[in-house]
Amino acid sequence: MKPPTDRGSLALGAYVYAVLAFIIVPLVIVIPMSFSQNDYLAFPPSGFTLKWYSEYFDSRQWRAATWLSVQVALLTALFASVIGTAATYAMIRGRSRLVTAFQILLIGPIIVPHIALAVGLYLFFQTIGLSGTIPGFVLAHTVLTLPFVVFTMAAALGKVDPNLEAAAMSCGATRFQAFRLITLPLVLPSLASSALFAFIISFDEPVVSFFLSGVRQKTLPRRMFEDIEQNLTPVIPAIATLLIVLSILILLGAHVLRSRSVTR
Amino acid sequence: MNIASARQSASGASIRISRLEKRFGAVSAVDGVDIDIAAGEFIALLGPSGSGKTTILMSVAGFEFPTSGTIHVDSEDLTYVPSNRRNLGMVFQNYTLFPHMSILDNVAFPLKMRGLRTAERHARAEAALATVRLAGYGQRRPNELSGGQQQRVALARAIVYQPRVLLMDEPLSALDKNLREDMQLEIKRLHAELGITVIFVTHDQSEALTMADRIAVLRDGKIQQIGPARQLYERPANLFTAGFIGEMNFVDVRIESVGDDVAVALPWGETWRLPAAAAVEPVAAGEAAVLAVRPERLQLGANPGGQVITVTLSDIVYAGAALLLIGRLPDGTEMRARIPGASQLSSLAPGNVASFTIPTEAMLLYRGKRR
Repeated sequence: MKPPTDRGSLALGAYVYAVLAFIIVPLVIVIPMSFSQNDYLAFPPSGFTLKWYSEYFDSRQWRAATWLSVQVALLTALFASVIGTAATYAMIRGRSRLVTAFQILLIGPIIVPHIALAVGLYLFFQTIGLSGTIPGFVLAHTVLTLPFVVFTMAAALGKVDPNLEAAAMSCGATRFQAFRLITLPLVLPSLASSALFAFIISFDEPVVSFFLSGVRQKTLPRRMFEDIEQNLTPVIPAIATLLIVLSILILLGAHVLRSRSVTR
Repeated sequence: MNIASARQSASGASIRISRLEKRFGAVSAVDGVDIDIAAGEFIALLGPSGSGKTTILMSVAGFEFPTSGTIHVDSEDLTYVPSNRRNLGMVFQNYTLFPHMSILDNVAFPLKMRGLRTAERHARAEAALATVRLAGYGQRRPNELSGGQQQRVALARAIVYQPRVLLMDEPLSALDKNLREDMQLEIKRLHAELGITVIFVTHDQSEALTMADRIAVLRDGKIQQIGPARQLYERPANLFTAGFIGEMNFVDVRIESVGDDVAVALPWGETWRLPAAAAVEPVAAGEAAVLAVRPERLQLGANPGGQVITVTLSDIVYAGAALLLIGRLPDGTEMRARIPGASQLSSLAPGNVASFTIPTEAMLLYRGKRR
């Protein structure tokens, strides 16, 4: 005798697979398109060529945009992880009544629409001359990526017994030594993983970059938008494919770092 | 430096805590505490949670700064000195070993902070590990050790730089019973061996009675009584200590007259004449008072040299070395008796009425009311 078919769980299964398909199909389509011999974006792709990749790597403009994005993302990762860790430490260990307000301010950028932030920063940076500059991009992206650092570090720091630092101080360590020699090594994998997240978020951040980019200083996402408007060649899926590979590598790296911190 | 010289240590320091007060907003966690601790003494701070015992310890350790009052160690004022410059050893409740360091590096950490060279650090850390009987465990990680072993490592780390004072914040409460008793002896042995002054915070009275030279009983941030175990147990200074330390029977009475002896009216109509020494606190005629007596001081049957009570038994509990008899006095007050040996007691059953004698010298009289 066959067990009765559970229509409910069948429907749920179908739904889950449909959602996954919607997420993954665009990624999968982009990859074959990047190898297409057509001179315009088309699906299904025809033939096989690496010329779009070489066009990307040979173009001075593409390389300049990529280099700018890399610089911005590296600096953003550095600032966001350092500031975010310090802020989270204060939030978790602090006894101040302002902690809640502080928390809301820190994670605010996740709730505020990026377009609102972008417009505000655009007007502000225009007047003070930060628009289209690396410090301008880094400032904006640091604000955007802080919440992710705060979430990751709050989980990590919450697991470290505050008495460990007290013990270190009773052993003669200063407050800063206690943090540097005890707490920091314990949360270092999470710190590295939050820096990786900040890097990738900054690297392909489109909205704020769109507003802040100048005539010469263009980040990679901004440059891609322009290319879509003007040329629409398969160089876009080629870059998208490279970005997907980079993101997957970074996610894997973050995962390895986090599982290391768990086993310790 | 070898093992022998690591063990031979400077003797302990004296500690003077005076007029110590710590307020958190409107709440007084510590309210005018004075404790003088002699060099090399082992003192326990005993009290229920919220009694301020941990706050006192944290003030001595330098993790809390008092609202007022002073803390002197060997006549040096440490009241507002940061914790890392106090040179006191500290053992926490939850071991607090550094999980990313080897056992040896954990124990050597205080020496590293004091700028010692690696070779000497390791030699002294090995010696400290040997002192807590963990020689050869240096290369392991904290999570490879049992709870008891971890706490011994924490102990080694606290004594490795030969501090003159060792502070312990409920160090044994995370361990199971057998391990706890082993560690009690271990700590006593270390104390005797090192001559170090120990302040030991606990809420476990038997731990305090077993280990400490003197015990300070705390409640609501105030010291209730401070003295050796025997004094605390045999003549508690007030009703709180009487009820907090060990088991105690209480009977509400009324003082009839005070003279060469004290006449008290029992709730069931009798009047007893007690020696004046029975009154632990001064009592006055006409006032309510509480008569206290330890269950093990009750004698079965009517004997000379005491007062006789009749108890209606409700429970008889066989507890190995002693028999616990629980019953009620004529007015309904509960009375417990612990009678050694089970020889002539087989005839007793719940519901029986039994006579007990309370020896005169076992009766203590306090002001106030129990119920």
